Amino acid sequence: MAKLSNRFWFQLHGWFSLPIWLIFCFVCLTGTIAVFSHELTWLTNPAARASNPDKLPAKPVAELVARVQQAYPTADVGSVMVFEPYLVTAVTFTDHDKPFAIAYVNQYSGDIQQINEGMTFINFMRSLHGWLLFPWQSGYSVGYYLVSAMAIVMLGALITGLVIYKNFWRSFTRPKVRLHQGKKTVLTDLHRLAGVWSIWFLMVMSATGLWYLVQAVMWHADIDIEPHAPLVAVSELPASQTTAPVDFAAAMQIAQQRFPDFQPSFLMLPEHNRGMYTLMGGGDHIFYDQYSYNLSINPWTGEIANEKSPATMSALQTVMHIADPLHYGTLGGIWTKAIWFLFGLILSGMSITGFMIWGSRTVKAVRAGRTAVNLQEVPDGAK
Amino acid sequence: MAQSNRFWQRHKFKLNGLVLLLPLWFLYDSLNPEFPPAWPAQQLGQFEIAPMPLDLKPPYAHHDQYVKDFYLSFSQGDIAAIRQGYLNIGPAPLPLAELQQHEEGILHGSRHGQHVHAIAPPQLAATDKVWLTLQTWQGEVLTTSWPVPAELLAAR
Repeated sequence: MAKLSNRFWFQLHGWFSLPIWLIFCFVCLTGTIAVFSHELTWLTNPAARASNPDKLPAKPVAELVARVQQAYPTADVGSVMVFEPYLVTAVTFTDHDKPFAIAYVNQYSGDIQQINEGMTFINFMRSLHGWLLFPWQSGYSVGYYLVSAMAIVMLGALITGLVIYKNFWRSFTRPKVRLHQGKKTVLTDLHRLAGVWSIWFLMVMSATGLWYLVQAVMWHADIDIEPHAPLVAVSELPASQTTAPVDFAAAMQIAQQRFPDFQPSFLMLPEHNRGMYTLMGGGDHIFYDQYSYNLSINPWTGEIANEKSPATMSALQTVMHIADPLHYGTLGGIWTKAIWFLFGLILSGMSITGFMIWGSRTVKAVRAGRTAVNLQEVPDGAK
Repeated sequence: MAQSNRFWQRHKFKLNGLVLLLPLWFLYDSLNPEFPPAWPAQQLGQFEIAPMPLDLKPPYAHHDQYVKDFYLSFSQGDIAAIRQGYLNIGPAPLPLAELQQHEEGILHGSRHGQHVHAIAPPQLAATDKVWLTLQTWQGEVLTTSWPVPAELLAAR
């Protein structure tokens, strides 16, 4: 009975991971590369590097926007993305000859180092890993469902794996890889050892993946986790044409005054006269992402029409803002990214060794089956 | 049932591989986007405007409102002269007093062109038109319309 039960768990372990083995492996590998997408951008594109040989302080973001505006007088700036200190600040804009462009501005020198009118490696890796580039319909992408549903597969494989592997905790105290007892033993030992040492990582990836699945369903069902940015009331618009009195620099100052530890990450300028500045940034909260502060600032009055911070978040919003740093490994900077990258590789390796173990068992079973058939055919033929 | 199960068992890894070929197709698609042709431009005050639907699909639901996405290109006129503008699809233009209560259907974008999630009925009818309502900083309210083309009416 105990044997049968073990066989059942073993089969279940295979059912969780084998049918979508190749896609799962691809998602693991692309996720692993995506961990270092910022660093790879720095390595491969000198124009994306924010070199600072003179150790200058970073210029205010509004000044970088002004630089783009000076260099391209007919441009309209839409948003600004601030990355790590070693990467340039990205200023997105439209121009008469550019439907969409990104200016890579060195935040220390103020120089525009590149105009990118295509896609970025960071976005490409994020889209490839997150939704396999499946197009977004209104509110959902089949690929996003497919990838986030991998969390169920991962959690199932983890639980069944731990049930099969009796006394698995011994892998912590007495890790073993038997190198001289055949290929299958090496593979099995590696698979088990990697699995046990990755329990925490598998749990983190499953939990955040399940959250992404919940989030996908909520997007699809049109349930807002965060309220829409408010609109300027028509009564607040002046009767005649004037420039809005609160410019981008002033809006940034208001945000900084409201939250002194505000570190800008994604800043959107108004897209019409009733639109507001939407300013997002991180703060001194280790577990929250770089969008945990969110302010809507009225360009006509300077009023903060809406604000969000970790202190005022609902439970769902909190989950939303702590999931990404845990999933991406960004919570402790480059060192945690390195750990996430390593365990990403281990996880990819587990999916490969798991498949190889299954493959060798299947080949053996097929051979055994053929031999049995042949043996049976001989006496039959002799009759 | 047993047969489909056998098919799945035999070909599951090939199917995995086929799914992984799709990103290549989607990448090609995203690098070579195709849009339906823009509609004829119309003069409205100082502006000459041509709308272009982003696709030929029926309107989609966004919260409690059905909407259809358009891009408006301006061959004449200064977009900065617009105080506010809206696009709605229906038998008649919605009054500005009603439109300005909400954000649905508001024109947004840059001085080089405007995007809009036009307020739309769930199903487009032959009697519907696409109505553009602009208010200039001089307080002038301008309205024009385009008939809904047959290929959009036939969208399912």
